[in-house]
Amino acid sequence: MMKPKTLKDYKKIAGKIAISQLEQLSQNLKGAKVVHVNSTREGGGVAEILNWMISLMNDLGLNASWEVIEGNEKYFDVTKAFHNGMQGTPIRLTGEMIKNYEDTLNTNFKRLQPVLEEADFVFIHDPQPAAFLDMCPNRKGKWVWRCHIDSSNPSREVWKYLRSKVVNYDASIFSMPTFAQPLPHPQFVIAPSIDPLSEKNCEINKKEIKETLKKYNIPDNVPILTQVSRFDRFKDPLGVIEAFNELTKTIPAELVLAGGRATDDPEGQVVLEEVQKAAADNKHIHVLMLPSDAHRTINALQRASTIIIQKSIQEGFGLTVTEALLKEKPVIGGNVGGIKLQLHNYYTGFLVETPEGAALRIRELLHDNEKIKRMGRTAKQFVIENFLLTRHLREYLTLLVGLKCNLTNYVLTESKDFNS
Amino acid sequence: MVTIKNKKPSHVFEVNDCAIITRMGGVGTAINLRELKERLISCSIDCLYYHFCETLIRPTFDNPEYRNDFALWSAYKLRDRVLAERLGIINPYSFDDLEGLRERVLEIIDERLSSLNYIPSVPKGDEFIFMRAATVVFDTGIVLHQPEDLFLKLPLMSRSTIYYHFMEARRRTQDRVDDFTFWIKFHPEKNQQIIEELAKIDFYFLNLNELKTVLIDTLKNIH
Repeated sequence: MMKPKTLKDYKKIAGKIAISQLEQLSQNLKGAKVVHVNSTREGGGVAEILNWMISLMNDLGLNASWEVIEGNEKYFDVTKAFHNGMQGTPIRLTGEMIKNYEDTLNTNFKRLQPVLEEADFVFIHDPQPAAFLDMCPNRKGKWVWRCHIDSSNPSREVWKYLRSKVVNYDASIFSMPTFAQPLPHPQFVIAPSIDPLSEKNCEINKKEIKETLKKYNIPDNVPILTQVSRFDRFKDPLGVIEAFNELTKTIPAELVLAGGRATDDPEGQVVLEEVQKAAADNKHIHVLMLPSDAHRTINALQRASTIIIQKSIQEGFGLTVTEALLKEKPVIGGNVGGIKLQLHNYYTGFLVETPEGAALRIRELLHDNEKIKRMGRTAKQFVIENFLLTRHLREYLTLLVGLKCNLTNYVLTESKDFNS
Repeated sequence: MVTIKNKKPSHVFEVNDCAIITRMGGVGTAINLRELKERLISCSIDCLYYHFCETLIRPTFDNPEYRNDFALWSAYKLRDRVLAERLGIINPYSFDDLEGLRERVLEIIDERLSSLNYIPSVPKGDEFIFMRAATVVFDTGIVLHQPEDLFLKLPLMSRSTIYYHFMEARRRTQDRVDDFTFWIKFHPEKNQQIIEELAKIDFYFLNLNELKTVLIDTLKNIH
């Protein structure tokens, strides 16, 4: 277990100026009570972001906390349907589903009411806790709905319901402009980020990488290709296997499909079984179901890989792409969501539409080691400049200062404590 | 729009920094050139500022071919290089105000539309999305007492500080000059050369790292 980080720890990688900007911005927010609410403490990008964000906000003098929705299997079935619906899957919502969702949130609200009512700022992450706002008429702070999902083309029925739950928020945040939906309040765009010092991203030695490969019986005498993601249809693991089968007709390689299970994703087991079936006759395909805290293992697998794949057919932002780029790995990614923002053909990786496209680009790269190295260096610099948590935190602090000043377009700050 | 005009020069220069937070522009997307024109007529002036001027402090991959988003969209999405070049050469700081800029952009699009016998459009997903940004300005704690201090402190300034004082300043100072020039005017003795050299910098087509280097070199040559 790594000890919680402080801002000072990030000076070396993010630079002195980036840290100083955070300190200066936070002068206007000292003591502000900031509450984040989501539906899982482990697994998935949101939980990872909240892990560092709470700790660094507190380090900057804000009073930040993180609350998690507790629900039964039925509740998570409904929220998974919301999730899929927001990403475009046609969903039929029944009265029973809505009742289950709202009942669960009502029960949770009773537990969280004092914290939510007293908060100066509340961030509600994704659809799972979205209906909280209606349950909290005595709120004193500003409420922001933070949508991490690619909601560019949502199921009409799901969005109709969810829109009614988020329409009264003070603001909303989307990861990309294309994800935003028409709403009557200000909609901000903040791309997510990664923590370069987390167990998943920190530097690790070659010995540990070798041991990890040995543990999972992955040979390293041929190029290793890895996709790290939940076993989810939107991540297209079957498409990755198809691309690998096409590739290995000419070039030997090993494929690692490494994923974990998030507590709010009931579909994962079904998809995992489909993937295991597709990989069953191929000893060069390694399907790894990892525990949610296997961050160092994922780190080692990514670093051991020659190329990283993220062949999603729908994607929020694709933090696994960011992680790979930071580790100087070119990425072959699906031409969707935030992956488009991170992969620039011939610079940081390649965007592809099909398994054939993925196989073609992997083959192209495997024939040119220099290109792999050059793209890797560019990729790392790109992430350092744009997608580290310091940039992310700066945008959140900027938004908080903006909200404090009622979202005027231009805010000249004065350094003072939040409640003074 | 910014409203802090008519600021009086002061003996000391308090160095500020700024951060922007991007938000949706409040008008619909444009799927073709005619829609772009229609949206440009009705959008907030802050959208024009964002797509022409704030492009510099957003996360970007590298030096884009054009400095404004309208030219980039024309080149890469509409695939109309003629329009892209005509929009790409526009320097937004050369207009008296942003309404003048809006008028010029509309003129160019109108001319292009009338010269084509079709309306260039893009597939779904490649629409032009109008954005704007809110700016938060904060104190860095750095104070300059004499113009010479500027040369000493410039290397310590962030990209966004350079943006705020050298570019963004032009939409809030009376004569649309940068903050450094505005301040140095208060110390005119032997500093006229600095003012003249700063005025010569063709800044709009530089990125912020390049601008910082040019500023440092300019001041170094004077000292």
